[in-house]
Amino acid sequence: MKWLKHGKIFDPTEHTLPNRCVQFAQSPQALVFDDFVRIYFSTRAVDTNGKFLSHIAFVDMRKNLREVIRVSDQTVIPLGGLGCFDEHGIFPMNVVRHGDLVYGYTCGWNRRVSVSVDTAVGLAISRDNGLTFERIGPGPVLAASLDEPCLVGDGFVMVIDGVFHMWYIFGTGWKKYAPDVAPDRTYKIGHATSPDGVNWTKEESRQIISDQLGPDESQALPTVVKIGSRYHMFFCYRESFDFRKAKGRGYRVGHAWSDDLSNWTRDDDAPQLDGTPGAWDSDMQCYPHVFECDGKVYLLYNGNEFGRHGFGLAELQP
Amino acid sequence: MFYWKKLGKAFTPQEIQGRPWLKEFAQAPATLVMDDVVRFYFSCRPPADANGQYVSYSAYVDLERQDLFKVRHVAEQPILTLGGLGEFDEFGTYPVSVVRDGDVVRAYYAGWTRCESVPFNVAIGTAVSRDGGKTFTKMGNGPILSYSPDEPFVLSGPKIRRFNGQWQLFYIAGRKWKTVDGRAEPVYKIRMAMSHDGLHWTKLNKDLVESRVEEDEAQASPDVFYANGNYHMFFCYRYSSHYRGKQNGYRIGYASSSNLVDWVRDDSKAGIEVSEQGWDAEMISYPHVFELDGKTYMAYLGDQVGRHGFGLAVLEGRLE
Repeated sequence: MKWLKHGKIFDPTEHTLPNRCVQFAQSPQALVFDDFVRIYFSTRAVDTNGKFLSHIAFVDMRKNLREVIRVSDQTVIPLGGLGCFDEHGIFPMNVVRHGDLVYGYTCGWNRRVSVSVDTAVGLAISRDNGLTFERIGPGPVLAASLDEPCLVGDGFVMVIDGVFHMWYIFGTGWKKYAPDVAPDRTYKIGHATSPDGVNWTKEESRQIISDQLGPDESQALPTVVKIGSRYHMFFCYRESFDFRKAKGRGYRVGHAWSDDLSNWTRDDDAPQLDGTPGAWDSDMQCYPHVFECDGKVYLLYNGNEFGRHGFGLAELQP
Repeated sequence: MFYWKKLGKAFTPQEIQGRPWLKEFAQAPATLVMDDVVRFYFSCRPPADANGQYVSYSAYVDLERQDLFKVRHVAEQPILTLGGLGEFDEFGTYPVSVVRDGDVVRAYYAGWTRCESVPFNVAIGTAVSRDGGKTFTKMGNGPILSYSPDEPFVLSGPKIRRFNGQWQLFYIAGRKWKTVDGRAEPVYKIRMAMSHDGLHWTKLNKDLVESRVEEDEAQASPDVFYANGNYHMFFCYRYSSHYRGKQNGYRIGYASSSNLVDWVRDDSKAGIEVSEQGWDAEMISYPHVFELDGKTYMAYLGDQVGRHGFGLAVLEGRLE
């Protein structure tokens, strides 16, 4: 298997976005309709104190995944209330159909004092085919627990044989790598199951994907697709420290496979997603999302600067 | 009919020397009865930092079993360390509630972190002691009871109980942050979870006690005691704004239940009020009821939510 890259397909600066957002189209997530594909992404507004607020928006595209039909012009889901887990941003939101409803699993962000943020996974439900979402409550469905002390987020949900499976990330801790820098976090990929998508049982702190870079590897944005009888997971990974600009320390896309949904074999090389020198994804490839559409398996992902300039597309070649 | 005959203040943290982490406050007393002393766990604070912010530690004082107004010993160190960077209990472990489990003592405590838009958030952790309640080791770096769809923030005030072969955790959960004079003030309600092992908890997801003085009434310290065929809950409540003085400050309320789940509130039966004068003339809060040598006592806080210590009262009449 290998990826056929189609280049960048959406640039947020070419469109008017809701909630006074200007740049960033991060962590694209697809909802496939009969004759178009709705791609949700997180974009950013600037808060009164100069910090970012991440909001969910979407773009509807023809099934050629090139032609834009429209961009959402109203709020898809408002941010959480004062003191709530998702007060300062939703990034990302994973969408999954459940009967006539669309379940949106949000990663909510709230700012802290000694560290920059904490996160948790919320659930919001759409009854209008994904135009708007309403929370099932102001709190999260998956949050920190005894052995997952912080930063539970990036849920990706798939229903398999009537069971809801969630792959998500949990923080293992914060660390100051140098005296004069802000603390950095490390997170790993975990797994939880649920009979109803609301009440979840974690495999408490079991890291299901082995490290390629050692214990200071951060793994994010798991996304799973079934090809034949095998499950394939894509995710992104990076060094936990000095990863924003330093060459070779930023996000790349990793891969693992499983035949039993429990044991995962990491194999980043097959298929491997490379950056294209000089192009929009030359230095960084992150926030992957795989989905099937008309018999093809596609990968949406972000490139340099964590998706400030939009997202691109690759297609799996058998 | 019953009432609480006040015995006076039993412990004053300002009288304890040589412990830099204990300058003032002895909040949320919780007892462990031992052979010749009663161990009172409480939460206290060192001086505020340069920004005027506090951390909270939990510790204990052993009071003579024969005379609860005599201090035998005060913990040399806090019973729990503060959490690491970015963890839920980085800035405080307060309050704490303990229960025996065979040879060990289990503690359930609220861990505090600091937030940007609101001053803090809280979740409930657990720890175990293998030396009779002197020191505790956390079971994990994260909380054992955390946020959920209907309990979005501020899970605090745990009270651990073991009735009928089960484990019950009574606690409070934040309902809203209310902006009062530019300051975010938390509103919280009394909740409950149940467990078979003290580790895996199922929330009841229900307010146990109706609100009385206003919709945004804040309720705390749900202390449940079994006597004469019924469960008796003493708790405290306050108004949502301007509650730091006498007018809107904490009072002690009462509810009863036959099944731990359905509660009938009747504050007129609580049997304790603020005093005319003295250390508990403005507010009374954080009740804890315990039995000792044939008598039933209530430990509670007075003015400034326990800044100057806790006091005791003894039950007169019958809980029923």
